[in-house]
Amino acid sequence: MNKNSIEKLVFGFFSSVAFLIVAIVVVILGFIVYRGIGIISWEFISQPPKNGMMEGGILPAILGTLVLILGSCLLAFPIGILSGIYMNEYAPKNIFKKFIGMMTNNLAGIPSIVFGLFGLAMFVNFFQFGVSILSGCLTLAILIVPVIIRTTEESLKLVEDSYRLSSYALGASKFETVFRVVLPMAFPNIITGLILSIGRVAGETAPIIFTVAAYYLPEIVLSLSSPVMALPYHLYVMATSGIDLTKSRELAFGTALVLMVIVLILNFSAGGLKLYFKRK
Amino acid sequence: MTFKKIREKFVESIIYISGTFTTLAVLFIIVFLFKEGSGIFQKTALEEGYSLAVNKFNPVTKLSPEEIKGIIEGEYTNWNQLRGNNDSVYIFTLSDIESNFTEEELGAEFEHLNQKISEYIEANTGVLAFFPSKYLDSTLTKINVDKITLASIIKGRDWYPTANPAPQLGALPIVLGSIMVSLGAILIALPLGVIVAIFLAEIAGETLKNSIKTVIELLAGIPSVVYGFFGLVVLVPFVQQIFDIPVGETALSGSILLALISLPTIISLSEDAISSAPQELKNASLALGANRLQTIFGVTLPYASSGIISASILGIGRAFGETMAVLMVTGNSAIMPKTFLEPVRTITATIAAELGEAPTGGIHYEALFILGTFLFIFTFSVNLIAEFFAQKRHS
Amino acid sequence: MKKQILLYSFALLAFFSAVAQPIKIKGSDTMLPLMQLEIEAYMKRNPVQLNVTGGGSGVGITSLLEGSVDIAMSSRELKMAEKLKFEEKGLKLSVLAIANDALSVIVNPQNPIKQLTREQMEDIFTGKITNWKDVGGDDMKIVVYTRESSSGTYEFMKDHVMSKKEFTKTAISSSATAAIVYATSQTKGAIGYVGIAYVEPIVKAISVSYDGGQKYIAPTFNNAFNKTYPITRPLFILYPLEKEKTVKPFIDFLFTVYGQKLVTHKGYIPLK
Repeated sequence: MNKNSIEKLVFGFFSSVAFLIVAIVVVILGFIVYRGIGIISWEFISQPPKNGMMEGGILPAILGTLVLILGSCLLAFPIGILSGIYMNEYAPKNIFKKFIGMMTNNLAGIPSIVFGLFGLAMFVNFFQFGVSILSGCLTLAILIVPVIIRTTEESLKLVEDSYRLSSYALGASKFETVFRVVLPMAFPNIITGLILSIGRVAGETAPIIFTVAAYYLPEIVLSLSSPVMALPYHLYVMATSGIDLTKSRELAFGTALVLMVIVLILNFSAGGLKLYFKRK
Repeated sequence: MTFKKIREKFVESIIYISGTFTTLAVLFIIVFLFKEGSGIFQKTALEEGYSLAVNKFNPVTKLSPEEIKGIIEGEYTNWNQLRGNNDSVYIFTLSDIESNFTEEELGAEFEHLNQKISEYIEANTGVLAFFPSKYLDSTLTKINVDKITLASIIKGRDWYPTANPAPQLGALPIVLGSIMVSLGAILIALPLGVIVAIFLAEIAGETLKNSIKTVIELLAGIPSVVYGFFGLVVLVPFVQQIFDIPVGETALSGSILLALISLPTIISLSEDAISSAPQELKNASLALGANRLQTIFGVTLPYASSGIISASILGIGRAFGETMAVLMVTGNSAIMPKTFLEPVRTITATIAAELGEAPTGGIHYEALFILGTFLFIFTFSVNLIAEFFAQKRHS
Repeated sequence: MKKQILLYSFALLAFFSAVAQPIKIKGSDTMLPLMQLEIEAYMKRNPVQLNVTGGGSGVGITSLLEGSVDIAMSSRELKMAEKLKFEEKGLKLSVLAIANDALSVIVNPQNPIKQLTREQMEDIFTGKITNWKDVGGDDMKIVVYTRESSSGTYEFMKDHVMSKKEFTKTAISSSATAAIVYATSQTKGAIGYVGIAYVEPIVKAISVSYDGGQKYIAPTFNNAFNKTYPITRPLFILYPLEKEKTVKPFIDFLFTVYGQKLVTHKGYIPLK
């Protein structure tokens, strides 16, 4: 066995590992599609759960997730984008900037259950917002701000300095340069990051268990102080509770499929947008 | 100053303020976690506001939480096993009060409770009474119980936070459970991840690379509750059958799911590290007669080693902090983990399962926040260490 | 820029539209299916919003104490400690039994064991007995399934079956009853405990003896109804008297003929 045949063998092994991983992903997604597709119907998407979660649909969970996405993004997008602008355009490159960068990275790495604890302690209890849309959106917003900051920073970094310099040369102020020249150029990439963070919010369970999630609230109440159902939490309860797991299992698969589809659409559009703008 | 200038300055000041957001958020999180948890160290391992008392003829003045549990479980039946007299141990709690006295005797607002407790204790020499401290009076001998310390939480092996009268807050099995599933996850994910990273960086062609990368990103986007659901429905029965064990809810199931969850992180970071190896170095190796395989293992990987280490450390951190997937497949048994084929309980699952019940400010609540603080510190340190290794690479 | 600010404020205003608060109910997982059905029926007839969440009796009582819910469901009585806590907060409670339940001990259908004494159950659940052969069954490891400590069923089991002893550490904890039923049906050596409404043909409910093995009584509807089955318990709802006005109409509904009919329909034991 000379070294070249060893190389061929090893490389062959490596590629089979890579394909194994791909196969695993296909199996997981495929399984959920296979078991869940039979449940998906207009009724499933437009009806609330009935008869103790054994029949009906998941409309309130879908709406609840949409509300949570809307609320947390309204809060997180401005803060995240402005913070990213600060980091890349305004912050002097000193030890403070490094420190803030470190804090941002650490915030990104905090486990989601710790966010849930924090949300409970600060929003539900200390500020007395209770288990509500307000508490949930605030908690989720803090969760995704670091992600948005990072993508904003990176998008801004991609804009070449020559654009900034030319803008200054033409007499523009820093503000005008950032908001009229750099930001519009970085926007496509920023949007990609925003869409990815939406996907994150849609799928998170731990931060919302104690801050906003309801087991059964069939008609969504659009008040800041009301709890809501949400898709990831609904999947969890369908998988573990209810009356008869064998009956609600099918509905659980449907829920998983809907959640997966939403997340996948978001991720794919983010990826697709990235490619689209790259070509431009 | 024109109006436009004022507006610009206003927005710029907001920008400066938002720069501080993440630092403030981290600060707030630390403060709140600590605030909500640290109260526990002022408390004894006895339900808050409650006291243990014995008859005045009983010489015992101190009991440990384990001894109290032992008494309830029937391990200690006589006071002489606990440095006391030869007398049978007899527990008397508030719920026993209700069965021993009528509502009239107690008073509609429990006015006579105090008196009744003292009467009962005096009448029974072997009694160990447990009741709110406000009913304690000088005729009774109070039992001292140690305050809860960080050591007792970390070293204790019994996690029964709602035990009556003495909650057992030994988190060791839970901490070990988290460590076990995370290590197991990395043992699986690291080799697989590095192999795939090498494949992507060095072997695969452009189109294949991009397609596989898309698939990996799909893997990364799957919410953890979906992983947990898949694990519950497919993996757990599978593990049960393959290994012919009584239940499939095991540390192994948890590790497998966690490996899948941290795989994308490890792959993409390792791939970055491997791709950043300078072409000149690789060329030099090839020029010396090494083939691609030898170059990878002799040159590229050593160069990328700190990046790969950084990736695996981040992967461990990710696995350690994962909640829903492990909650659904590990069985949540707070035993000292011995093998991978047994159920375990992780810190994250404990918090998720128990937090709803813990009354705010109570001992259980605080204990969970201590666990949360530990989780935070752990992932914080993991991130710092990972960054250290990542910086090493750039130097 | 201006347009964006307007859009943002509009969105915020829409949020602030204070719609009438739903009545929040929380607590016992055992009672969850019943409550859900009652809520569904009630909301069909009344323009009120109610929502319910599980988590266990402990969660409901804690939430009631903290004022974050209007009604708590509990499958156990209030602990004395909890009563005192409510006293301290000055919260006068109304505690009403809306149904009865027979706590059923379930095993895998393939398990030949059909009956156990209380002492045997205590030893099994505390971990003293670890193999089915020690109670006359097959040579098979006993796998204990339990609820989390937040569960009223957990506490009731401890107090009334296990002489207040703790569950074995090796028990597998589920946060929901249905998971126990499902797992028991899938695991040959399993034993668990659930409310009677959750018992499905996929598991076997065993008969129990509280007199040392002289008479074994099965958890059937009739035995539970006439209280010959030893492990029966009332299922409670609790609410603070200060919230009486808001919740009274719904509470009354629970006690109507229709409301009680739903109790039987769901598999629980009615009050009369």
